[in-house]
Amino acid sequence: MSDAKAVADRLVKAKRLNALLTPPKDLRKSLAIQEAAARPTGVLYGMPVAVKDNICTLEFTTTCGSRILEGYRSPYEATAVAKLKTAGALIAGKTNCDEFAMGSSTEHSAYGRVLHPLDKARVPGGSSGGSAALVAAGAVPAALGSETGGSVRQPAAFCGVVGIKPTYGRVSRYGLVAFGSSLDQIGVFGRSVHDAARVLSVISGRDPRDSTCEDRDPLRLPTVPESLQGFVIGLPKEYFPPELDPAVRRACDRAVRLMKELGAAVREVSLPHTPYAVPTYYVIAPAEASSNLARYDCVRYGPRFDGRVDLRGLYRSTRGQGFGPEVRRRILVGTYVLSAGYYDAYYKRAQQMRALIAQDFRNAFDRGVDLLFTPTVPSPAFKAGEKLSDPIAMYMSDIFTVTANLAGLPAMSLPIGRIKGLPLGGQLVGQAFLEDEMIEAAYALERVVPATDEA
Amino acid sequence: MSVSREEVLRIAQLAELDVEKEALPELVDNMSRIIDYVAQLSAVPANGTVKVFVPGPDAIRFRADEVTPAHLAFGPAEFAPDFKEGFFVVPKLGQFE
Amino acid sequence: MSSSWETIIGLETHVQLRTKSKMFCGCATAFGAPPNTQVCPVCLGLPGALPMPNGAAIGLAVRAALALGCTVHPKSVFARKNYFYPDLPKGYQISQFDQPLATNGTLSFLAPERGIVTAGVVRLHLEEDAGKSIHDRFPKATAVDLNRSGVPLIEIVGGPDLRSPAEARAYLQTLKQLLEYIGISDCDMEKGSLRVDANVSVRRAGETALNTRTEVKNINSFAFVEKALTVERDRQIALIESGGAVTQQTMLYDSKENAVRPQRSKEESHDYRYFPEPDLPPLVLTPEFVAEQQSALPELPAAKRDRFVATYALSREHATVVTSNRAVADYYENVVRAGAEPQAAANWVMTEALADAKDHQEQLRVAPGALAQIVALVKGGTLSHQAAKKVFGEVAAKGGEPRTIAEALGLIQVADSNVVAGWVTDVLGAHASEVGRYKSGETKLMAFFVGQVMRASKGKADPKLAQRVLEEKLTAS
Repeated sequence: MSDAKAVADRLVKAKRLNALLTPPKDLRKSLAIQEAAARPTGVLYGMPVAVKDNICTLEFTTTCGSRILEGYRSPYEATAVAKLKTAGALIAGKTNCDEFAMGSSTEHSAYGRVLHPLDKARVPGGSSGGSAALVAAGAVPAALGSETGGSVRQPAAFCGVVGIKPTYGRVSRYGLVAFGSSLDQIGVFGRSVHDAARVLSVISGRDPRDSTCEDRDPLRLPTVPESLQGFVIGLPKEYFPPELDPAVRRACDRAVRLMKELGAAVREVSLPHTPYAVPTYYVIAPAEASSNLARYDCVRYGPRFDGRVDLRGLYRSTRGQGFGPEVRRRILVGTYVLSAGYYDAYYKRAQQMRALIAQDFRNAFDRGVDLLFTPTVPSPAFKAGEKLSDPIAMYMSDIFTVTANLAGLPAMSLPIGRIKGLPLGGQLVGQAFLEDEMIEAAYALERVVPATDEA
Repeated sequence: MSVSREEVLRIAQLAELDVEKEALPELVDNMSRIIDYVAQLSAVPANGTVKVFVPGPDAIRFRADEVTPAHLAFGPAEFAPDFKEGFFVVPKLGQFE
Repeated sequence: MSSSWETIIGLETHVQLRTKSKMFCGCATAFGAPPNTQVCPVCLGLPGALPMPNGAAIGLAVRAALALGCTVHPKSVFARKNYFYPDLPKGYQISQFDQPLATNGTLSFLAPERGIVTAGVVRLHLEEDAGKSIHDRFPKATAVDLNRSGVPLIEIVGGPDLRSPAEARAYLQTLKQLLEYIGISDCDMEKGSLRVDANVSVRRAGETALNTRTEVKNINSFAFVEKALTVERDRQIALIESGGAVTQQTMLYDSKENAVRPQRSKEESHDYRYFPEPDLPPLVLTPEFVAEQQSALPELPAAKRDRFVATYALSREHATVVTSNRAVADYYENVVRAGAEPQAAANWVMTEALADAKDHQEQLRVAPGALAQIVALVKGGTLSHQAAKKVFGEVAAKGGEPRTIAEALGLIQVADSNVVAGWVTDVLGAHASEVGRYKSGETKLMAFFVGQVMRASKGKADPKLAQRVLEEKLTAS
């Protein structure tokens, strides 16, 4: 059923996208070894799954798209990767990403930007752009990504594939290189809802190595429903502002109409603190990142830049040159908001705002709404370089996705149409640990939505 | 500018990051814009009525006190930039002493 | 000069908890392994590794907090303390900050100048240790060993309640004794399992406000506690008396020079940017868990001392010595339970048993039952005190039953008055002039006669009996 050579051929063919960081030779060699070792009884036997380069693997280097980890081989593998292998999947190389998952375009990789599979002048989204692009290009049926503020859903939307971010605590983070620990989750990309969901089901579940992973059984896959009878879908009005791109609105309206036709009840809801989500995120994520990235000090691993004689000088030159500009900027912002005299004004406030945002969701769900539906991103894939000089403009492309990370909720994006040939994503946000309901609705919508038609 | 040049340099020292002179003006500008942007958070009532939110389990699970070292596929000598006689080796501490 | 000055000292004590595995990973904590062999992704701070807390370490920390009378909080929070140092693998230490495990306890101890002092314990929190930087291993380079990285510690922050270097030493001694007693740590300063930093300030007698303090670090041995603090106190007093002012800084103690020098470091390194550790949910302690730790606590030294005074009628001083160590206290009670008279048992434990242990790797070599028998033999007049010491030594070295050994060594006292009377007659016959002097009033010669009888009997005569027979004969004739 599987064929390591065919898998490798498909991946090498997609080389022009710069989505894969693993050299073809290493990839072919490892796939052959993995195929021989794979357990035929596994539920994912022979399924190639590409893995974002910030998830530790024994087979390939783990660089996080950064020079500071150039050539780094992890002596252990992530729990999610071990679970994939136990299920018989093949680890199909490491995918390019924004450095340490910081970015929304995969332009912030030390190893070059990833091209959008449908328009090489555009970005595939980010930070898991390599994984999204490979799935969109048909090189692999599924791939792992990671989310801190939308890094799976946003590139899934840009590339026209399915992307799921599970509930915080659903999938072990052990072996996922930390960015914002209280926000990070491993997520999955699939050509279809089913491909993504079955990979998610395999990697989910308890892990004695991650204190933040819930002590729960793995996710059970729902069956494809006949209708959406009984589902109440909420449309948060803050996610459909007057200035929303009309094509995005049209695609969403069409998806909503189709869900209604399937029997779902639809009602408008309000998540009033939504406007504060991006600033909240851009305090908490950099604060945690500034601490998480302190370990890259070139003492125990990673290359050293500039052999200065004293250690502090070596720290500064290695970290100064090893990290790219966006990572440096976020480390500085994070250090600033945690430093003496600023903690209460920024970090503490952000933690409080986070509670208000989470409460918004609980209020909506308490009023009988099962799921929320929104656009995933306010616009389709933008052009490379378009937002590089304006960090805040780049941050705004996370505006509809960061809330689920802040509230720790499951959310996913699936293709709901196109605008001038570029894919658009629709987002479903579910209740904590009710991924099954969310996936059930996605199954139903996926069957009826004209995902490749112009909206 | 809500963040001064001096503050950026002080923060960079805390974070152990070299900042090139040429890059400094843009960095000061970027940081000021980001800090101004996130200053919207002052909308949170400051009276302390809002509890913070932490996702994930409500309580720590306890690990049993057993010697069960996680397996390393290969040792530090394979990934360390400088490893001698069983030690990680770094240049003299300089200002740290 | 110090008479017009008051010294204010507060100690911050780091104590390694007695666990098999580290605080946040399954690596061994055993001391002395080759460098970097007890390491894993977690304690090496590898990318992607996450902490998993050791329940036993948390239990031991709670026991320490309860023993110090602290309020143990049902919910506390781990926090990251961020700073760069080559032996700090993650670039932060997992510790606790604004929501510690326990607060507001006390420790009572016997201060040399002030008697019983009750010092405050401000807080007690859990944290992980860093690794070890070795600066003299390689030329121009620092060697880093991470075996110790992640070993569980508690930090006990004492209040500014100590008034002299000697008092600080007494406090630390009592704290160490308590922690050893409850079995949470071996408190070995030489192995680094007990470390102490001191906050020191001085003020003129009568002042009430606290002046600028310094932190004294690098006090590596118990012997240096008093010395280091004395040096720093004298430095501060001299500084102020010469018109200077104390600046807040960290002073490193150099035991070779018996001097302190300021640590060279930039102020910004003290901006630790604490924030709640996002990799760990809150530390929630159920009432059952805390109760379990409470019931695992042995009787604490102070309570035991009071009980020994009440039950065994020991003086406070004797009870303090006997309860200074849990093993010694248990030993003492076993000797008493085996039938020894309590005060005599205390005398034997405090002198012979402890002296013998000191010379023999701290082993109490004579079984409690055997010591009880020795005490009984002395009391019953079968052994002289001197002979009993010999028997004790033999039993300690070779084991065996005290009476059998005493017999084999010919140390049993002769209590047969006829036999003793024979020796007495011989002695009086041989010392006619002394007999004459005695009879004319020089009664202090009795000691001489007893000595002569002991000599004649080769030490076997019961001296009390000998004296009685002598008195009879000297007054009768």
